[in-house]
Amino acid sequence: MKTIIEHPPVEKLANGGKAYWRSLADYSESNEFHQWLDREFPAGASEFWGDGVSRRNFLRLMGASMALAGFGMASCRRPEAAVVAFSKTPEWQIPGVRIPFATAMPRRDGAQPLLVQSFDGRPIKIEGNPLHPLGNGKSDTFAQSSLLDLYDPDRSSRFVKEGETATEADFISAFTGAAQGWKAERGAKLAILAEATPSPTTQRLIEDFKKQYPQAKWVTYEPAQSGNDAQAVEAAFGPDVRLRLESKKAEAILAFDSDFLGGSQSDLSVVRGFAKGRSVKKPTDAMNRLYVVEPAYSITGGMADHRAPLKAVDIPAAIAAFASEVAALTGNGSLSAMVSGLSKSALPGLDPQWLKESAKDLVSKKGNVAVLVGANYPVAVQALVLAINDALDAFKSVLVPVPWKSMSTATLSELTKMMDRGSVDSLVILGGNPCYNSPAGLNFSEALKKLKTLVHLSTHEDETSLCAHWHVPMAHYLESWGDAFDAAGRAISIQPLILPLFGGLSIDQVLSLMTGEVPDGVEGKEVDPYFKGPELVQATFAKEMSLTPDTYPFRTAWKKYVREGFDNEGKVKPASTAFNPGSLGSFVAKDRKVFTPSQADALEVVFRADSSMDDGRYNNNGWLMEMPDPITKLTWDNAVLMSPATAEKLELEEKLEEGIYKGQVITLSVNGNEITAPIHIVPGFAEGSLTLPLGYGRTVTGRVGEGAGFSAYQLMGSEGDYALAGVSVEPTADFYDFAITQEHWSMEGRGIVRQGPIEYYRKNDKFAHKQGLESHTPPNRSFYETPYETARKAIENGEPYDEAVYSSVHQWGMAIDLTTCTGCQACVVACQSENNIPIVGKDQVQKGREMHWMRLDRYFTATVENNGHKEDLSKFKVESKFNNGPDKLVVPNAPEMVTQPILCMQCENAPCETVCPVNATVHTNEGLNAMAYNRCIGTRYCANNCPYKVRRFNWFDYNQRQLDQLYISGRVKEQGWVETFKRPLGPKGTEELTKMSKNPNVTVRMRGVIEKCTFCVQRLEEAKINHKIKRENRTTGNIMVPTDSVQTACQQACPAEAITFGNLQDKNSKVVEVRERKHAYKLLDYLNTRPRVSYLAKLKNPNPAMPGADLVGMSLINATSHGDHGGHDDHGDHGKSHDHDDHSDAEDHGGHH
Amino acid sequence: MANFFPRTSNWLPIKLLVALICLGSTGALGVTYYATQKYTRVGYQPTQPVPFDHSLHAGQLGIDCRYCHFGVEQSSHSNVPTTQVCMTCHNQVKQNSEKLELVRESWDEGEAIEWVRIHKAPDYVYFNHAVHVNSGVSCVDCHGQIQEMEEVWHAESLSMGFCLECHRNPEKYIRPIEEVTNMEWSAGSTQEQCELGEELVEDWKINPPEHCAGCHR
Repeated sequence: MKTIIEHPPVEKLANGGKAYWRSLADYSESNEFHQWLDREFPAGASEFWGDGVSRRNFLRLMGASMALAGFGMASCRRPEAAVVAFSKTPEWQIPGVRIPFATAMPRRDGAQPLLVQSFDGRPIKIEGNPLHPLGNGKSDTFAQSSLLDLYDPDRSSRFVKEGETATEADFISAFTGAAQGWKAERGAKLAILAEATPSPTTQRLIEDFKKQYPQAKWVTYEPAQSGNDAQAVEAAFGPDVRLRLESKKAEAILAFDSDFLGGSQSDLSVVRGFAKGRSVKKPTDAMNRLYVVEPAYSITGGMADHRAPLKAVDIPAAIAAFASEVAALTGNGSLSAMVSGLSKSALPGLDPQWLKESAKDLVSKKGNVAVLVGANYPVAVQALVLAINDALDAFKSVLVPVPWKSMSTATLSELTKMMDRGSVDSLVILGGNPCYNSPAGLNFSEALKKLKTLVHLSTHEDETSLCAHWHVPMAHYLESWGDAFDAAGRAISIQPLILPLFGGLSIDQVLSLMTGEVPDGVEGKEVDPYFKGPELVQATFAKEMSLTPDTYPFRTAWKKYVREGFDNEGKVKPASTAFNPGSLGSFVAKDRKVFTPSQADALEVVFRADSSMDDGRYNNNGWLMEMPDPITKLTWDNAVLMSPATAEKLELEEKLEEGIYKGQVITLSVNGNEITAPIHIVPGFAEGSLTLPLGYGRTVTGRVGEGAGFSAYQLMGSEGDYALAGVSVEPTADFYDFAITQEHWSMEGRGIVRQGPIEYYRKNDKFAHKQGLESHTPPNRSFYETPYETARKAIENGEPYDEAVYSSVHQWGMAIDLTTCTGCQACVVACQSENNIPIVGKDQVQKGREMHWMRLDRYFTATVENNGHKEDLSKFKVESKFNNGPDKLVVPNAPEMVTQPILCMQCENAPCETVCPVNATVHTNEGLNAMAYNRCIGTRYCANNCPYKVRRFNWFDYNQRQLDQLYISGRVKEQGWVETFKRPLGPKGTEELTKMSKNPNVTVRMRGVIEKCTFCVQRLEEAKINHKIKRENRTTGNIMVPTDSVQTACQQACPAEAITFGNLQDKNSKVVEVRERKHAYKLLDYLNTRPRVSYLAKLKNPNPAMPGADLVGMSLINATSHGDHGGHDDHGDHGKSHDHDDHSDAEDHGGHH
Repeated sequence: MANFFPRTSNWLPIKLLVALICLGSTGALGVTYYATQKYTRVGYQPTQPVPFDHSLHAGQLGIDCRYCHFGVEQSSHSNVPTTQVCMTCHNQVKQNSEKLELVRESWDEGEAIEWVRIHKAPDYVYFNHAVHVNSGVSCVDCHGQIQEMEEVWHAESLSMGFCLECHRNPEKYIRPIEEVTNMEWSAGSTQEQCELGEELVEDWKINPPEHCAGCHR
């Protein structure tokens, strides 16, 4: 019998808007959105190309050509293949067994400790180093996807001299020769430009370099890390110190435009610590609190309990106002003195009550709080924030000084001037791409032309390489020896897993050529292998540990260092410095005008390192390029981001046609610089603030990055700009097509994301069960015992052996905590890397064909008050552009954000399995919804029947495509039939290099096959096998894998530890405890699919004294309990049951129905 | 008399004949391709670059399988020995044998020997040697009496049906772990094997997967 599920109507707010929505189109229920909701793909997605030739016609054509080709069987048998064993057996290596190596990814703010899995000599998966106390086995998107950078076929593969290919020996003799000359002049006209690479060996070599070339300049340039914060910290704490956030000790944090939970932070202990302080097991647990003031929505903003959008140029004024509140409450003398001279004019856009109440809250928790500000804000602002933190006693335990050295002796703008004047005529660039990422206002590229010698070391032949006299390929960190400091100042070792694929050099190697630490024997002929070994790092290690190289204690310590990846006994010397506010006042006094609020209607642009491209360095990385931005869900592009209110005011438009977002193209100009770029409208951005993500619009890049987005550097005036006021906007008539995934895979059904404030949860700990339709239905009860319940009883009662029972000792299950999930996408990339998921290209993303098995659904939500509460008008101002629904729908300008990771729920009662005509998707006796790719014939019935929309279809051989032959421009009619026809049938064959990144334990799927998450079944099988092959386990019949010893890729990556996974039969497993928490719920439980994935409702901890606190986290609760049910006839009944919902406290809800 | 049948029907017998021939030959081709032993490669015996004799090494000399295939107990893949393994004996024994020319060359030059692959599971099958040999499945069960083969041939079909036969009835095949590489071992009669097998299955809690994800992912 066919069951027709009648979905309840959507929970609505009093004004007719939805309680939770993914996009403006969703909010206003436009027809375009319904396409994404009702269908798996929008209309026409299964059409071959846009101009009317259908798939059926294509098959007819193909049939004809097939008949012509004929069929032969001669070559059908399996061809002869060779088994190639090594000649000499490599140490430790058994073919087919992966070996993990500890190493680290160097980053500008400290290295991320990693454990890299090597399979038959190829690194195939990057994971966090579980031994390292900061990393704790976690890793972020950039670390995960750096694997693809190693295997990037567009990497620089040659030494280039003036545009001609040269050899390494040529370079070394030319370079060492030139170095002799520079040395003779004591480095007078020499400068080195490098990225921030905090590393003991590099720093040792730099010290040595500075001795040998005393007059040379060392310039560090990082567009996303101006060093303003370091300057203020140095004034307060003395040199070589920086502050580290011990987030687990913080009870409350106020972040002024500081994305400390997202961004490219290498220190994941910050996220983990914050999540620990936020995760709630039972109603009595305490929860930390986060206040955020920011111009653009960030991951941190999404986690906030109270978030206020405010223009970046007004943030210093907000900080000043906050500082005076704190000064008044604490009576801190130096802070009072600092704020006394600052402007007290009212701040438009931020309720004064907001700052007053948050200050009260922070002062009451004094000692366990911190105030943070974005690193690129001016020194005066940084200084004031330090003084606030001092007044709040933050330096006692929350903000800890750690040793940190900055090597820079000049800034980029000083260097540019010196090059212009001719006082620098030789420049060595060690990493980095200043011709692209220097501010347009500096005219750096022009200055470069005056140089006599320019040597450029980089991973790609990029914009800067084109100007250079010598381009040197740089070795990837997985190819070179090195070391680095982690965020706490501890040394971590970097060891190569593979020889340099293209013979690149590391920064340390190039530096050692200059300092002469290279032994003799170079002389332009044979390069001594000594130069490429670990000796440079060993020399540093010996010095640090005060050991003599080549002695037994040294070798023991070194082996441990390399094997474990860091030096555990090492000296993370707590900086022996005390806070000294003395000089901070002068910073503030010098730059008082920065604290003046701007005009209410003035526009500003804000520069942001992009969530995928960072500052542009990951531009040719396909995984990152196709990773949807956590906030905008934009792929393959950047856009000028603004709120609906700003767009309304500027009369700009974004259209949604055929499921594709089309942003109006505008011309932005500031101080004579001008760029043309499309806009994208996102709620929650400050009114009048335009956000420009950096890192796109590269002119010389690889095949992935080519043509993606625009370069925001073209608008920057000088180094370290964080925002610019005085922008003018000129609309054009053009529209630009984006590939935005925010509406893809929308789910029909109610109460998908659930959240509530913690106080509500304390009163009503099962509230999460009663949102959505489950507030109307009794819990699902089955007449039948599941096999795994039978198995558990049998095992507990010691019943005689039965194979069926013991096949069920593993029952895999997962729980995801929405309270701690930040939405950073590390899980998505980890899944992509582990499971050989291809990228599909922009055009395919537009058609909803992205292949990510795991996705992060981002919802916005806001409450409209009703039933006697005051209407919070400040939040609802703007009429929707997309409005097809109720009249005069207004869009909240400061909605909350909730992110929800969605993967296959592994339903025990899976709707997909019953519809497969070929049994390609079946249930395993471990509770997995298995997928046999070799059996799948691609009917897509399963995807059609999946309520969670987690099944992906391989429309084409994505895994077979070359980087520049991704399926593009299928819709472009002008290209003509032949051209569009060719695209999908274009040249095949992946680069050998790309193939090397594939996980050999997972099938590389071909076209015409459905694929999906399997809870990383390859890892589960491996864990079971590794347990079984231990003879003591086998012969004692111990077949259950040790508790929580196996992790899925997403769980392993998650920096917030929001994902728990384990065996449900194992009572000690953490996942069992998490799934039984009171606020756990299952997605669309009323469908009785019995998902194996549970969610913990998102809890918020609003401060009741704050303005609007009664609205935080309440939207769905308000909507379901009081809201208009949108056309329910039996309204009275529902009203009753809702009353009941609200007041049935600890009782089992199901019993009442 | 009027023509009952249209003119085109004259072609009917020919058309039928052609159709029958097509059908017949397709059927014959299908049977030849799919239903013969060649499809499962049973009997496949290519010539190896070095005439290595298993019947001499494993049979007469009684060298344990794991001396050369040393990864089999830990890895999914049972490795083919490196040249270095050959040379551990052959730098002493038969130093100048003509048959070992290629081995010595490989050792001197560091170039690998390209052995011809005989057993291969399809790419979508994730077979694991380690778990089988540690669960009392003998080498003989899949590879046949290697110790009697001068040149190795493909002895069993290694098709899915072949795998499932044992996965469904493991007691018919498994043996004490210490006898796994003993190519001559036998429990005795079928009856005795089944009794021993049932005992081992219960003691070790053998539960071979019969679901797709056990081997396909």
